[in-house]
Amino acid sequence: MDATYIALAQMAVGGGLMGMAYALVAYGFQLTYAAGKAVNFGQGELVMLGAFAGISLAGTGLPYWVSVLGAMVAGAALGWLVERVAVRLALKQHNEGWILLTIIVGLFALSSVENIWGREDRAFPAPWPTGALDIFGISVTWPELAIAAGALGIMTLVELAKRYTMAGIAVQAVSADPEAAELCGVRSRSAISLSWAVSGAAAAFAGTVLGPVTTVGPTMAAALTLKAFSVAVVAGLDSGFGLLIAGIALGAAENLSGYVLGSGWREAPGLILLILALAIRPQGVFGKKIIRKV
Amino acid sequence: MFARVSIGLRETTAERIVRIALFVGLAALPALWQGQYALGLLTLMAVYAILLIGLDATVGYLGQVNLAQAALFGLGAYGTALAVQAGVSFPLALLAGIIAALLPGAALALPALRLEGPQFALSTLSFATLSVIVLNESESITNGALGLSIVRPSLFTVELDARGYYWLCLLVLFVAWWVSQILLKSRFGLSIEALRDSPTAADALGIGTLRHKVLAFAWGSALAGLAGALHALNFGYLQPAAFGYDLMVMLLLGVVFGGRRSQWGAFVGAAVVAMLPNLLSNRTLFSSFVSFGCIVTLFPIFRALISRRIPQFAVTAPAAAMALALALSLFAPNVEEWRKGIFALFLFAAVVGLPDGLAGAIASMVHRLIRFTPDPLPPASGGIRSAGISVALPLHVMKLSKSFGGVRAVDNITLDIGQDEVLGLIGPNGSGKTTFINLVSGLYAPDSGTVEIAGTRPVPGSLMSACSAGAARTFQNLQSFSGLTALESIVVCQRDGGKSEAMGWLRAVGLEEKARQRCSEISYGDLRFLEIARAIATRPRILMLDEPAAGMSKPDIERLVALVASIKRAGLPILLIEHHQDVVAELCDRVAVMDGGRLIALGTSDQIRRDPKVIEAYLGSDDEEANVEGETEVQLC
Repeated sequence: MDATYIALAQMAVGGGLMGMAYALVAYGFQLTYAAGKAVNFGQGELVMLGAFAGISLAGTGLPYWVSVLGAMVAGAALGWLVERVAVRLALKQHNEGWILLTIIVGLFALSSVENIWGREDRAFPAPWPTGALDIFGISVTWPELAIAAGALGIMTLVELAKRYTMAGIAVQAVSADPEAAELCGVRSRSAISLSWAVSGAAAAFAGTVLGPVTTVGPTMAAALTLKAFSVAVVAGLDSGFGLLIAGIALGAAENLSGYVLGSGWREAPGLILLILALAIRPQGVFGKKIIRKV
Repeated sequence: MFARVSIGLRETTAERIVRIALFVGLAALPALWQGQYALGLLTLMAVYAILLIGLDATVGYLGQVNLAQAALFGLGAYGTALAVQAGVSFPLALLAGIIAALLPGAALALPALRLEGPQFALSTLSFATLSVIVLNESESITNGALGLSIVRPSLFTVELDARGYYWLCLLVLFVAWWVSQILLKSRFGLSIEALRDSPTAADALGIGTLRHKVLAFAWGSALAGLAGALHALNFGYLQPAAFGYDLMVMLLLGVVFGGRRSQWGAFVGAAVVAMLPNLLSNRTLFSSFVSFGCIVTLFPIFRALISRRIPQFAVTAPAAAMALALALSLFAPNVEEWRKGIFALFLFAAVVGLPDGLAGAIASMVHRLIRFTPDPLPPASGGIRSAGISVALPLHVMKLSKSFGGVRAVDNITLDIGQDEVLGLIGPNGSGKTTFINLVSGLYAPDSGTVEIAGTRPVPGSLMSACSAGAARTFQNLQSFSGLTALESIVVCQRDGGKSEAMGWLRAVGLEEKARQRCSEISYGDLRFLEIARAIATRPRILMLDEPAAGMSKPDIERLVALVASIKRAGLPILLIEHHQDVVAELCDRVAVMDGGRLIALGTSDQIRRDPKVIEAYLGSDDEEANVEGETEVQLC
């Protein structure tokens, strides 16, 4: 095979694996959107906070897995907090204030991170082997594989929990019709809180698997929110595993355009595709069409 | 409390006086507050005010979170800078700035404005990110991250110094404010507010959603470009990074803190945004400022505690945010490092605690203290009358069908309505009545079949086209324009005629007294009448009423029957969906019955009551019991 093609394929595979992390963060959007028709415009900041929490916990000498779990707990708590302070009131008033408020909470988180952990990028310590695997001439590193396995694992776990646990079924009931669920004795408020906590945990986990590949710093947040949001919207905010396809495609497109056009243009094609996708299919490529009711 | 003082002035006049005083004061300010630093701040404030008036068109009036304004500002600035480098004159450079923001803004508006809420916010955010990337990477044109330097050209042979330039910016702001106010108080502005509150009703009444949205966004973009141009000529040095996420957050702070849907709000917001970063550098001043804010937010908590209520989240959260800001201002090692965090806390307190912003809070305080003379209402003229004689049938529906998934909501319906006829459409819940109206009025496109309104075939699935063919409707669930007054709701729906005719429509439905009230303050029953007035104000050829009596009190129902009868006398045909059988019996010439999407009976009210199919639809197919009674009459619910 031609060397250029191998390089391109290498770029596509590496990007696609990164894209699975975007899909995981996007999955968090989907969870909260299903439960309460709102998403966190500061989700990228949650990913960043999760990564920094993981770094700090690992810094105290805790084993990797324990610090990942700790980061997820912190993420869950933060997710719950965002819903409580930024979303609940605005949704009760039926206005779009939650968009502003989640941006605001994210901004406060960003500023706190800058002051607590500093503005420098940091490496995330992980116990993976340093070498790379060679698959058909394309090298894949262990941290990249960890992203793919982690994203798939978390999404599968949550989907199973949604189907086979009482709490999961309650969340589904609330997402179908909050009032009807309340009449059947489901506390919709708790179900929505639970979705936000799980979404936060997923974001924090994404931070801990992304960290070893990219490094962790305050600049990662805004870009991640935008990417994950693009993935969620392009796939459709109600489409389960369509996210993975959209995530892999975005990650690959990003890497390829960075390689072909220059690193400054990395994000441009994804953004143009996003605007086009929104204009042509607002409900998402894999989403269901919404019927207006009056 | 205080007694309200009557000053014998109209509110608009008083506002104009205060505004002119403000501008005179601002123009004289450099004489008192001297120095380059002060002039720089004041110029920046004027530029931001223009920018925020533009942003308010989308965030306030359109009600959509627009995250592209900072980028459009940057594009305008770069447009001007490049034009100056090419050696054009001052006015042309300003024009170049406006165009550099207007064209991409319009290009974004067309696809983005079909979106709502989070999707719209996201597409503007993508656009903003993309713009900064383009500015950064097109190094051959913009000099990339290194930045671009320009020298301000002279304005028609006059070399402007800093003070002259400040006056120029102030003049531009004055004009932008004035034009914006006229524009947004006009029918155009009312249309924007109407479509924010109910896009479906706005389309169904022929106001037109997309066109107004695009125009509002374009107006906002043009102002962003103008502000950008002034900014570029002021600073003389541009860098892409200056127009990124941070500026966008500052602008949102300005609009929300100042107050949405008001040029005063934009001005107050601009003052805050321009002064705040400088406030942060003086620690004593800043902490006393925050302490003051903290005390203000504590008031509502005390008020709640005194009346022995548990303070609500909307009251405690701003106080908590301000307390946190105070703690930061006192204990943080370097306050400027916490700049974003402090902005975030202020914004949070403003969004939660001051939904109408600072300007809104001040306005409501002024209203509590001063009673203004209300604007005079024009005398009512006109009233219900037919739209003119037409040979064609008002409504001719042929073999209309529509399915949702596997459900045939409307199944092969053929139906005509004659001149001067009131046709009742009844049927059990879920029988497809509302879907039928939705098809006729163009909310849904039918799967098959045709609709003809007064001889013309509207484009299937277009509310606007059905409306211009002569269909008008009301909604089962109210779709009122809650931000508008009753009179404005009518004015925005009229195709011709002025305010006095609008008063005539209000008189026709008995709401003349409530002309000045906002729809959000009008009772449920009256809103139903207002919806009918809105519909007939479009001068339709067929009026469709979707359960007008639902939830109405007995006297209101009597009023409704009298109104529908008078519309009928005026010669306007009506399609009436109604569950109140007495209303149907009294008003309708013929009654059509739907069940399971099909038309099962059509005839006079008496014929329908004895029709076995209708009895089966309402009472179930238990033949034995129905036949025992011999003569069964259904009291259709």
